[in-house]
Amino acid sequence: MLRRALMPLAGAALGALFATQAMAQAKTEITFARFFGACEGDYGTSQEVEKARGECGVMTTLVNLFNATNKDNIVVKPQIIEWGPYYQQLNARIAAKDIPAVAVMHTSQIGDYVRYVEDLDGAFKEAGIDAGDFTPNARTGVTVGGKIYAMPWDTHSWLWHFNVGLFKQAGLVDANGQPLVPKTVDEMLAHAKQMKEKTGKPYIIQATSGAGDFANGGRGFYSWLYDQGGSIFPNGFDKADFKTPEALNAFGVFEKLAKGDYITKGLDGSGGIGGFLNGIGAVYITGTWRIDDFLAASAKPGGALSEGYTTRVFPNLFKQQAVWTDNHSWVLPKGGTTPATRKAALTFMKFLWDHNFDWARGGGHLPARQSLMADYAKLPQRQFVVDIPSFGKALPHDVRRQFGFQNMIGEEVSNIINAGKTAAAAADAAQERSVALLRGR
Amino acid sequence: MSTYRQGRSLGDRLLLVAVVALAVIWIAPIVWVVGLSFKPNDVLMRTTGGILFPPFTTKNYADILAASQVFAWMLNSTIVAVGQTVLTLIIASLAGYGFARTNFPGRSALFVVVLAALAVPEQAIIVPLHTMFAAVDLHNTFVALIAPRLAFPFGVLLMTQYFRAIPPEIEEAALLDRASRLKVFWRIVLPLSIPAQATLGTYTFLHAWNEYFWPLVSATKPAMYTLTVGLASMQTNFAQTEGIGFLMAQAVFAGLPVLILYLFFQRHIVSAVAGGPVK
Repeated sequence: MLRRALMPLAGAALGALFATQAMAQAKTEITFARFFGACEGDYGTSQEVEKARGECGVMTTLVNLFNATNKDNIVVKPQIIEWGPYYQQLNARIAAKDIPAVAVMHTSQIGDYVRYVEDLDGAFKEAGIDAGDFTPNARTGVTVGGKIYAMPWDTHSWLWHFNVGLFKQAGLVDANGQPLVPKTVDEMLAHAKQMKEKTGKPYIIQATSGAGDFANGGRGFYSWLYDQGGSIFPNGFDKADFKTPEALNAFGVFEKLAKGDYITKGLDGSGGIGGFLNGIGAVYITGTWRIDDFLAASAKPGGALSEGYTTRVFPNLFKQQAVWTDNHSWVLPKGGTTPATRKAALTFMKFLWDHNFDWARGGGHLPARQSLMADYAKLPQRQFVVDIPSFGKALPHDVRRQFGFQNMIGEEVSNIINAGKTAAAAADAAQERSVALLRGR
Repeated sequence: MSTYRQGRSLGDRLLLVAVVALAVIWIAPIVWVVGLSFKPNDVLMRTTGGILFPPFTTKNYADILAASQVFAWMLNSTIVAVGQTVLTLIIASLAGYGFARTNFPGRSALFVVVLAALAVPEQAIIVPLHTMFAAVDLHNTFVALIAPRLAFPFGVLLMTQYFRAIPPEIEEAALLDRASRLKVFWRIVLPLSIPAQATLGTYTFLHAWNEYFWPLVSATKPAMYTLTVGLASMQTNFAQTEGIGFLMAQAVFAGLPVLILYLFFQRHIVSAVAGGPVK
């Protein structure tokens, strides 16, 4: 009797089990290799993208939203790795054929990986991603030899962040109370001198002492080099030249700042940002991604930035406005997908493309889509940086090991600032060290 | 005890003061790390001083525990560290005993080869090692995480030297009683070598627990991350400026199991650092 009563129940349970298994089998999983951190504590299940803040928050929320709402039963499986050794691990994964379906990549690295990632021209048409909407900077970043190898995700660049209160105290503001931005090296040195005399504080704060801070000097060097129309590869990509007048001038600006004690010495990233928030100097040199942090700090009464904060593009002290840029982008590594997962990966990329503004708003970078720029400019302080994609510049993709170059140059800039090395000696050292970086290219 | 205290010379007292001062200097950064781990990140962006004053928070630890896989990573680390320790002890003991007590052709040459391996830096072999494990499709397995570290020349050297220091007469008596070489090793020599085993075991465990680079390139699936790789993966790109409290909490969290191990094996670790096995 009991057996008879239980039989239909058992049948129903088995049916439900098979149905669940069938549904699970129908799911398409794609792996998603990225840095930006993990923040399950704050955003583990959140799908409210508009409320997400920070790179990690936006990225986590976007994946949650996609997994919950996509109609194709696609499941994105993030494979998160620390930013520092990300590329070493990616290299190892490619070598071991353990290749992710979608991976984040700086466009400055694409030249090194062009043989290992798919050309996406056709794929974008298939996925409905309009490559015509790329900003000029984003387009340059993802294009190698006329072909597009990645979906651009943002532009990030180099800025001066101003403590307006200190500029007012030094008498370095215009009629509207906005800081005066120097237009020549001499003008900058004069402003720096005036700042020091009136406030007793250095004009510039720059982090130069931690291993992660060397990129800072490299980015500043590139920006002032590009302002002169200079290049470290004036005669082809087999040999760098750090002894051009433009390169010597770029190193020389740091030397002049250091000699006048107009720039902080020996600070690491934590000390630099803490110093700016505590008003130890007037200008903090760092990236676009810090704007919201400083806006939040300026909104707090009684803080060092409470008399005002603003930002501007890294200033042109020479003949043309240009500035260092890089981009995050998404690539499809070769061998990382099957036809089914490739389609799913492209669907996910299209979803990201549609949410590019969320990344720009919450993640702190400029959008990669030209059509979003007008809205982006309406965000606080962004009107001062919105034009960067039209004049931002990066090393050509023919240059391999670009992070190696950036860090090496940054170390030399740090040597100038912290150890009193001359610009000429820094150029000599960079020249010698570049040989090792170019070996075997 | 009181007699001993009263009998201390001025030199002893000065030495004691110096040791206490050095201990305070040594422990201060650790106290600072623990203090920072209980401070909000936005406060630490402004300053990393003032760890003794509010505000305090446990959010940094809550964020670590919120990671769905953190205990899986801890389990992975435990499996790797324990597995590596046990197997290293077995291999190093057998090899050490072989070098110390048995005669076979080429023994000296082979011992030199083992010692030469001490001079090979890890970075020099990481690429061929990775390629080798990729060829047999073993990445993302415990075998790949444990096996490469089992060839541990220092362990062989340590055990060889220890076995050589044991008087051979002890073994000869057993051999005369017709005990096999294996029985002699198992019943007589191995128990005598427990202090050296503890030293080597502690050293191997700590090394395995703290290892980062090999697990980073071999265990690429999050489910196979060890604690070091998993915790690092949670860091944002700007962790050193905007997430200092979280970084410090990670350091404390990762270090706790090792601290507990230290409390149990303190004597042997001190001996290992001092440069010799406990006798």
